Amino acid sequence: MINSILRFGLIFILLILLQVLLFNNIQFSGYVNPYVYIMFILLLPIEIPSWLLLLLSFATGLIIDFFSGSPGMHTSATVLAGFVRPYVLRIVSPRDGYESGSDPSMLIYGFRWFFSYTLLIVLVHHTALFYLEVFRFADFFRTMLRVLLSSLFSMTFILLIEFYRRGK
Amino acid sequence: MRNLLNFLARYNNLIIFLFLEGIAFYLLSTRNNYHNTRLVNSVRGMTRGIEKKINSTKSYLSLHDINANLAAENVALKNSIAKLVRRESSLFFSVDDSVYKQQYLHTSTEVIENSIDRQKNFFTINKGENQGIKVDMAVITANSVAGVIVGCSKNYSVAMSLLNLDFKLSARIKSNGYFGSLSWDGRDYRYAILSEIPQHVLVNVGDTIETTGYSAIFPEGEIVGTVSDYEKFGGDFYKITILLMTDFKKLHFVDVIGNMKKTEQLQLEKLIQ
Repeated sequence: MINSILRFGLIFILLILLQVLLFNNIQFSGYVNPYVYIMFILLLPIEIPSWLLLLLSFATGLIIDFFSGSPGMHTSATVLAGFVRPYVLRIVSPRDGYESGSDPSMLIYGFRWFFSYTLLIVLVHHTALFYLEVFRFADFFRTMLRVLLSSLFSMTFILLIEFYRRGK
Repeated sequence: MRNLLNFLARYNNLIIFLFLEGIAFYLLSTRNNYHNTRLVNSVRGMTRGIEKKINSTKSYLSLHDINANLAAENVALKNSIAKLVRRESSLFFSVDDSVYKQQYLHTSTEVIENSIDRQKNFFTINKGENQGIKVDMAVITANSVAGVIVGCSKNYSVAMSLLNLDFKLSARIKSNGYFGSLSWDGRDYRYAILSEIPQHVLVNVGDTIETTGYSAIFPEGEIVGTVSDYEKFGGDFYKITILLMTDFKKLHFVDVIGNMKKTEQLQLEKLIQ
């Protein structure tokens, strides 16, 4: 128990630092921006109680908001991602169900499972985030393009990090 | 009572979710108020120390460019001093009070936090109320327009960047004086849009766009950029794409400009309306 709190604490700090120090400073072609911190929500144990998941999502979003000077934006998108996570897990569940006490990692459930799981949550998160940022429906399709491009980049980085984790 | 408890137990996730989203939306809506950037300010206080460290590293890496810019600016200033000295000597009398004809007050500051990748970009500078910065002052770089101050704390200020969907600026074509409204469309950090220029006006690619002094925020004649493209938009107006002179990706040293006669101008305009 203590062990896993320490482990996830470390992952939490690493991902936040990575996001704030590195990814917040990367812009591809002007307005495409990867948001990798959402990986923390992805990696939490499968059997985590929903209320804890929601609170952790809230805290993650709030800290990212502090660093990017946009109170509320990341918070609401991340809480939404935390809310849909149990449903997404149900949708993509492997044929023989989840092993009890396991983490949702590529090592256990394979690349295809991890890919679709990540894709769904990243899409939900990015859609909420970018539409909240613009806060208007003018330029609907341009915002959609931003969502898709940014999701592509976030996915790439999340999968790379996951591969690295598996390699260790 | 039992029904209520059952209900709560059943939907507790939804309730927590809605509660947390409520807090998030509260934060979001108070932030969206144009004048309520105090919140941004107070929140930024916590992370400012770290941002400062990141920024000092970045500024070390770009020292060469900054030096070159400063040298160029020095030359320009020396030239203008030389001109002024010549003009001054031909006057019949000298006035001891040098403030009486000065309208704009420049303060040099450093950008410590900046963004260009959002739809509503702000940047933070390292001077505030204690150094005489006030809300609604103009921010320019050595060459051109950068933004407007929207919030001040004791030693820091937050400025709304030109790269913000809410930013509006009155600008005109230098060669013929027709003015329109300049704004950013959220696409590319190098370009902005000038609208409300009627179609009978002659526009050429490469024309210089400068500020008008109408808003009492920006001084007249600050350069904004050059025309890079134009097309007919609707029946009456052009939609002109402006290549911005300011490189927002390299924003580092900026000048804040206070208009000392602003209250006078606004009071007079109010009186007449």
